[in-house]
Amino acid sequence: MEFTTQLLYPIDQALLALMIFVIMLGMGASLTIDDFKAVFRSPKGIFIGFLSQFGFMPFMAFALGYFLKLQPAFAIALILIGCLPGGTTSNMFTYFSRGSVALSISMTTASTVLAIVMMPILLNLYAAGYTAQITAELQAAGSDAVFVIPTANIVTSLILVLVPVVIGMFIRIKWPDWAKTAEDTAGFMGMIVILYLIITAFLRHGTLFLLTPFEVYFGAISVGLIGFLFGFTLARLLGIAPVFQRAISLETGIQNGPLSFAVIILSFNEPVQSQMVWLAILYSTFIVISSSVITLIYRKIGAFDYDIYRNTLIHNRLFGDNYFTHYPKNFLPKRLKKDPSQGNAPAQKRAY
Amino acid sequence: MYYRIKAQNLAQLYQKAASEFDALPAFAIRKKALEWEPVSYKALYEKGLDLGTALIELGVNARDHVGIFSDNRFEWILADYAVQCCGAADVPRGRDITNAELVYIINHSELAVAFVETEELMQRVLNLKNQLPALREIIVLDESIDVPQGVRKIHDVCKTGQKLRQDGDKRIEKRMQDIKPDDLFTLIYTSGTTGTPKGVMLTHANIMSQIQNLPGQFNCNDRILSVLPIWHVFERLIEMYTISFGGCTFYSSVQHLAEDMRNVEPTFMASAPRIWEKLYERILKKVKSSHWMRQLLFHVAHFLARQYNGSIYYMSNRNLQMRFYPLWERILCMPFYLIRWLIVLPWYGFFNAAVLERIRLGAGGGLKTTISGGGALPFHVDKFFNNVGIPVLEGYGMTETTPVISVREKRNLVVGTVGSPIKETQIKIIDIETSRVLYPNAELPYNGKMQKGEIWVKGPQVMKAYYKEPELTQKTIVDGWLRTGDIGVMTHNNNLKILGRFKATIVLKGGENVEPEPLEMSLQQSPFIENCIVAGQDKKFLGVLIIPSLIDFWQAGFKEKTIQELVKNDIATKIIRNDVRRITSTANGFKKYEQIRYIGYLNDSFKIGQELTNLFKLKRHVIMKKYSKQLSDLFEAEFKK
Repeated sequence: MEFTTQLLYPIDQALLALMIFVIMLGMGASLTIDDFKAVFRSPKGIFIGFLSQFGFMPFMAFALGYFLKLQPAFAIALILIGCLPGGTTSNMFTYFSRGSVALSISMTTASTVLAIVMMPILLNLYAAGYTAQITAELQAAGSDAVFVIPTANIVTSLILVLVPVVIGMFIRIKWPDWAKTAEDTAGFMGMIVILYLIITAFLRHGTLFLLTPFEVYFGAISVGLIGFLFGFTLARLLGIAPVFQRAISLETGIQNGPLSFAVIILSFNEPVQSQMVWLAILYSTFIVISSSVITLIYRKIGAFDYDIYRNTLIHNRLFGDNYFTHYPKNFLPKRLKKDPSQGNAPAQKRAY
Repeated sequence: MYYRIKAQNLAQLYQKAASEFDALPAFAIRKKALEWEPVSYKALYEKGLDLGTALIELGVNARDHVGIFSDNRFEWILADYAVQCCGAADVPRGRDITNAELVYIINHSELAVAFVETEELMQRVLNLKNQLPALREIIVLDESIDVPQGVRKIHDVCKTGQKLRQDGDKRIEKRMQDIKPDDLFTLIYTSGTTGTPKGVMLTHANIMSQIQNLPGQFNCNDRILSVLPIWHVFERLIEMYTISFGGCTFYSSVQHLAEDMRNVEPTFMASAPRIWEKLYERILKKVKSSHWMRQLLFHVAHFLARQYNGSIYYMSNRNLQMRFYPLWERILCMPFYLIRWLIVLPWYGFFNAAVLERIRLGAGGGLKTTISGGGALPFHVDKFFNNVGIPVLEGYGMTETTPVISVREKRNLVVGTVGSPIKETQIKIIDIETSRVLYPNAELPYNGKMQKGEIWVKGPQVMKAYYKEPELTQKTIVDGWLRTGDIGVMTHNNNLKILGRFKATIVLKGGENVEPEPLEMSLQQSPFIENCIVAGQDKKFLGVLIIPSLIDFWQAGFKEKTIQELVKNDIATKIIRNDVRRITSTANGFKKYEQIRYIGYLNDSFKIGQELTNLFKLKRHVIMKKYSKQLSDLFEAEFKK
């Protein structure tokens, strides 16, 4: 396929910039200093999150690109998405999937800060092969340009993006009521801009959807799905409570989409930029759908466990921390009897 | 996962619950907002047996009547356990019972033993003692008060019973085995909207059938918030129902409701329309006072929810079908609803998560369902809560039917109706004038659906009789069919819709029949109308007496301190007049003769126990009597002509 036409017009770029600003502001507005402190309180969950987010995801993205034989620009974009930290949407999905929102927020916070260091390193590591390929292509076309991963630019853009986050946190401290509004507005904004991009892309370059090879779709969709699956399995194998399993799973699969736009637009130039943006758009669209589906599934599966957990929690809240809820024999399934986070256990023994 | 105890009578239910659920909390007593005291099934049952044994010792025989005059509290249920287990029936009434009612009920039901809740109530009963020849024993529920000679305290009585049982007294176990399904479990005197109290005789078979037939899936980790008066059979049923699946009932009260909803996070509750109207007003008020961006988000979310649910209702055949929808029309329209649904879906998904969830959290967030009963739920409130995702199900019933006749189910939720009749329950619609069966009637189009008439009901929940009122019983129960006195229709998708109370029907001079209740309910949607009563029997046009909502006028910037001053302000009365005209217009579905010609004002709010029943229904005859002067003034203009 050819990306001769420019995918993003200046107006789109401006819109994207605005969206990134508002979303990051919203993200900041949802954070408190306590969330940073909480990171150190649940090191096990955070460590697993770190493993899956910065260990597994970039590697998996690289492997997908490799086996699907994607064009270099797409492959680099996929790796970039793999290296991204978690986004705020994962917190919302975790809430509705009845996972631990506290852990989700901690993971988002930790990964966003760590991303400044980890992203450039990982990107250089996994994309090295592709940069050489692009350079070779460029030289074959008669140019003497050398394509490298713009490490310094990436770090700068990441830091730049963190500015509105800090502003958002400041708003939260100063005007807590306003912060809630900012959070919702941000989510709404994100939806509108992504839909706008898709619709305009469809109108301007309707054939783009047809021209995009099947492998690209496959990559954009499965990077999230495999992330969900891996996060869930890893957490499960390590014997972590279901509420944390769901949080880690969603956090791993859902990446900070808007951040990828920022990094791509601020750090990369044509000829790779348009293709990279296109993959980021596809990922951002499909991840909303797939995480909605996963959330509904988790919610359904976890309904009983959640009810038990909630009931125990409320009994402890109202009857005192020492109250022990004795359920009838055979009422609790085996998995809950073993689970320290819920069911048949008083508050002190619970993990949180 | 869902489990319900099957039992023959309440005593057996209590016994089985104690062995099945053992240490699980059955009831929780509120001490402070975040401090509640749980009482386990086992402990409650044992205590109930102690108290029951003591009652036997005090001379209570099987099938005797025992009074419980108290509002919701733990000792109420304890007294009930005791009364049921010793094979007697209780006669419950709330704290707000009047002296005249006390005398009437105690004498009519031949009470020898009565539980009274408070010092005030005890004093009143003692003062009336010379009018109550049969009353031997008074047992006070409130532990904190000092009682005079001859009055007992419930926990002292319990201790007596405990001692007896420790010494090998097995009389109560024997009593429990002798309970027949046809024995009464309660004799409820209805205050009703008309006439003197009537004693409704309800049997164990009645209530056990309700517990079995009530739809819903619950288990022993459900939490139930109790706010409605316990002596009302609806709340009573829900508590018994809760015992059957092992849930925990948390005793709240109206003034703590909002707070307790957040702390207890109930999964189920019995509720009355007033609760939802209040919550609805509070939500709207909160929205109005919030940041404009939030307001916008709320309105968008509400709009999307309406579109989304509207499509779902149509596609799943759950729209309000007041006319017949032929299959071809449904098929033809289906794509449009499907497209609308698909367009709205992603937006709804987002707004549902970001905005509506916060509204749901206001009701605790964990509410699986709530059944609203005891009065008609205003349509706009009904729609609102079901749209935002708080499944308020409306039920229909009366004390005489223990009480549920029909209730909406979650999977067959048609907003604006009271659902289909519950299991084992049959419904007939009878023409008021000709007594012809309108539904089910194969001769009429669509088997008589949408034919308006009086609802008759037959089923295992129908009461035994009115106590000592054979004539009244005969008039009310005809060949096993109970005449409800309510007017309703069966919609085309088999849901019952209640249109009003047959006895409240106003017949105008021109012979037109007007149901005042739908009019009153619509008028109350105006923020400036606190309450109102529509009248006009034998008059040419309808009139209404309105109690203006002073607070809302103040908020609108009016300075008048009292209603008397306010109604002299022409701008204020014009606002009300315009609202009345707008609301009762033909555009809102009212007929020409249902439009209101005369408007009068009342200065004082209606009070519970006086002009209103405990469930906020108007006591028409009381109001008509009290305000007869204002009513005749209202129609003065008509006479002058």
